[in-house]
Amino acid sequence: MNDTEIMSLWSALEPTSRRRARIETRVSEWLEASETSIAAEWLGLLKVEPLRALAYASLGAVVLLLLTPVGWIAGLLLT
Amino acid sequence: MILAATMAALPSARHLSWLFKALSVLFGADSEALAEDAVLELVERARAGDRAARQRLYRQHVQRVFRTVRGMLRSDAEAEDVTQDAMLTALTSLDRYSPRSGTRFVAWLTTIAVNTTRRRFRRRRPELTATGELPEIADPSDDPAEDIDLARRRAALLQALAELEPREREIVSLRYGSDLNATEIAAQVRMEPANVRKILERARASLGERIEALMKSRGAAA
Repeated sequence: MNDTEIMSLWSALEPTSRRRARIETRVSEWLEASETSIAAEWLGLLKVEPLRALAYASLGAVVLLLLTPVGWIAGLLLT
Repeated sequence: MILAATMAALPSARHLSWLFKALSVLFGADSEALAEDAVLELVERARAGDRAARQRLYRQHVQRVFRTVRGMLRSDAEAEDVTQDAMLTALTSLDRYSPRSGTRFVAWLTTIAVNTTRRRFRRRRPELTATGELPEIADPSDDPAEDIDLARRRAALLQALAELEPREREIVSLRYGSDLNATEIAAQVRMEPANVRKILERARASLGERIEALMKSRGAAA
């Protein structure tokens, strides 16, 4: 077998179209996610599901408001 | 000749060929290999944030990376993971690629793929072989005989590769998977180009003999 024949035989190792599509999906999803800031994701969510996004934001604010004093008190009690 | 005559006779056939080309690009294959200048232009555009250029760069090289690492690894699943990691690493660190050093983009990309493969070798024991699983069933094509023939050639190649030394396997995978020359391979495996040529010659002879023997025995069995 010469160089060209082995080179052509090597094409048998190419990924199937299904496998290729899977790799491409993962790579492009990862790249897209890495390029999107958290703020942009929130804005996107707000656009798609405004009610749910506002509910999440309110819940987050309430949790922060409630837990911060609890944390301070717990800290004071422990020290 | 017949095809050319048909294309000339049927103007719509020309449109069909464009359609097939467009569909193949759409479904992830970019069969038309670009010249190095065009690749460098894509790299520049991708660095500047052009997503289409990055996508084209990806499609130009993904199959080549898969073919190369598949020759070194045990299974298609591992080759898939390594290809994915290597492509991600490369596409997110394009700024580190410097064509001024005389390195072709494909050689730079292959270095990343080989390093990713080596990390996998270190993590996984015992040592990996190029085969060790049944050949994957190919995607259905119009001609079943073609599928069987492809599967047979694939199995013979993987079997023959598994019988090579790891260093030889790496070198032949870089040569035939990525189409690198002896100097580019030498830079990756830290050897003299002359030694790479010798190993390539030896490995090619042994691969050729083994594949022919395997194909004959499988053909006789079938």
